[in-house]
Amino acid sequence: MANLDKESAVSVNLTNPEEGKWGMVIDRDLCTGCQACVAACAMENNLAFVGEELSGNGRSMHWIRIERFWEGEYPEVKATPFEPTMCQQCGYAPCEPVCPAYATVHSQDQQLNLQVYNRCVGTRYCGNNCPYQVRSFNWFDYERPEPLNNQFNPDVTVRRRGVMEKCTFCIQRIKRAEDTARAEGREVADGEFAPACAQACPANAIVFGRVDKPETVVSQLAKQARGVKRLEELGTFPHVTYLKAG
Amino acid sequence: MIKKLLSWLASPLGKIGLLILSLIVISGAVWGIGQTQTVPEQPIDFPHSLHVGLGVQCLYCHPGSLKGPVSGLPTQTKCWGCHQQIAKTKTSALLAPLVQAVENNQPIQWVPVAMVPDFVRYNHRPHIAAGLNCEDCHGDVSKMTVYENPQVLNMGWCLNCHVEQAGEDEEKLIRLTDCGTCHY
Ligand code: HEC
Ligand code: HEC
Ligand code: HEC
Ligand code: HEC
Ligand code: HEC
Repeated sequence: MANLDKESAVSVNLTNPEEGKWGMVIDRDLCTGCQACVAACAMENNLAFVGEELSGNGRSMHWIRIERFWEGEYPEVKATPFEPTMCQQCGYAPCEPVCPAYATVHSQDQQLNLQVYNRCVGTRYCGNNCPYQVRSFNWFDYERPEPLNNQFNPDVTVRRRGVMEKCTFCIQRIKRAEDTARAEGREVADGEFAPACAQACPANAIVFGRVDKPETVVSQLAKQARGVKRLEELGTFPHVTYLKAG
Repeated sequence: MIKKLLSWLASPLGKIGLLILSLIVISGAVWGIGQTQTVPEQPIDFPHSLHVGLGVQCLYCHPGSLKGPVSGLPTQTKCWGCHQQIAKTKTSALLAPLVQAVENNQPIQWVPVAMVPDFVRYNHRPHIAAGLNCEDCHGDVSKMTVYENPQVLNMGWCLNCHVEQAGEDEEKLIRLTDCGTCHY
């Protein structure tokens, strides 16, 4: 099947892994840590409700979380700004080469890291090799208490026990927007749609769009001097840019 | 213990026992596979052949194909539009469930036949837009009484056609064979 390196990807006019196609910019100055994105993501993507006890055992399931660190020695501690953390959709993703089942593969078309649930056998190598620790594993089949069983999103697979999962940049919304645009014979417009987290953010701290087109809002924001990529030194080419406190 | 079992299996009685056991297992497997290949029973034996033969368009009863992922199955209201005026409706045993559904205002619970598993995202719209006919995937429905899949709807079947459709267009090939096109 089509397996392309960087040069041939460019030759067939596709975006290359380093630049990416879809990207996100998160402004740490605007984020208030309200967790609306976390809730919206869980609703959109059929996330399981793990419960207090299993969460305490380190088996919580989130595709996005609000990260915050303490800086300095007690009592001179200072909290870092809130950082919503989700899969960074790396151009060269550490999770991909370690999967023995080829279940987490790189989408040549969308330049995203895919998780093919039905291919996954649950070795959890990918989760262990992820420097951002954003993958979560279905340790059990979780119950959906009434009335939550009625709010499944039909566009997203309901995962079973023993399967790894992670943020997809709401690929179901990407696919729907592209399908609608193709039906109407046009390109997807910038800002036409957004992933659940960006849509729910009351502070507009999360912006989503094409990073391979210079005129989009994300590209403009990502170019700012405030922009940093997390753990960039690992050479993962993450597609999420954080705007640091300026 | 194991030695005793082995020597018993070597005896004539043991051989017969083994034969019966393997027959049971094989017939169970054959029955199970057979079950997946038979068409489930529908609440009404709806004859596609008759209606398509009358010249009713597929899209009249399955209007979703043009616009979105799901084609949709008709409700009794759509059937009633015609059948209210057809004399045979009152007399035909085949149509008794339809009359009942309309009188009790209860939906007809069609059993899905053409379907892919939950982890596959299929969309009718791009296929119809690309100029494919319903018959390319669903077979000659005008000759079927109750609908039956002409082939298994598995991944090889999807990909064969996608590779064929893409032809020399490498960009299209990548798009149509990308795991993210069908699995998310
Ligand atoms: C008069 C309405 C009507 C027309 C016209 C019609 N269908 Fe149907 N179709 C139905 C009903 C009712 C069912 C559900 C019963 C069944 O599966 O046999 C159905 C079922 C189907 C199914 C199986 C869906 C499933 O999973 O249960 C397919 C596929 C299908 N039709 C295709 C077609 C095609 C292709 C045409 C045009 C050649 C067509 N139909 C024309 C009413 C119609
Ligand atoms: C376009 C009009 C039309 C629509 C819509 C329609 N039918 Fe019919 N149907 C007919 C006609 C005409 C006949 C033939 C009646 C006859 O033989 O006298 C028929 C015959 C039938 C028969 C066979 C009856 C028999 O005893 O042979 C069944 C069953 C049936 N229809 C079910 C349905 C169902 C279920 C629907 C809704 C999904 C439906 N029809 C929608 C026009 C229609
Ligand atoms: C490229 C192949 C293809 C073509 C062309 C196609 N279908 Fe389908 N159809 C499918 C597959 C695959 C499914 C199973 C979808 C699922 O489970 O979500 C399906 C499901 C259906 C169903 C039942 C489920 C639903 O979506 O409501 C109906 C009815 C149906 N098709 C009607 C049609 C009609 C009418 C046409 C022509 C306008 C058509 N199909 C053209 C492949 C095709
Ligand atoms: C008879 C040929 C044929 C079969 C069989 C077929 N497809 Fe397709 N498929 C096409 C064509 C043609 C297109 C449109 C390509 C384009 O956009 O130009 C398409 C497009 C698609 C798209 C949209 C691609 C995009 O750009 O997002 C999806 C999703 C899809 N197919 C899924 C499936 C699935 C799932 C199956 C099997 C259940 C299947 N197809 C079987 C011919 C087929
Ligand atoms: C054109 C659509 C399409 C594409 C592209 C596609 N698949 Fe599938 N896949 C399917 C369908 C349809 C099934 C369901 C098969 C069935 O019901 O037997 C499936 C089933 C599977 C299964 C389960 C097989 C089984 O029998 O249980 C695995 C594993 C799988 N796909 C992996 C992948 C991987 C990995 C890729 C990317 C290289 C991929 N698929 C790309 C349509 C697709």
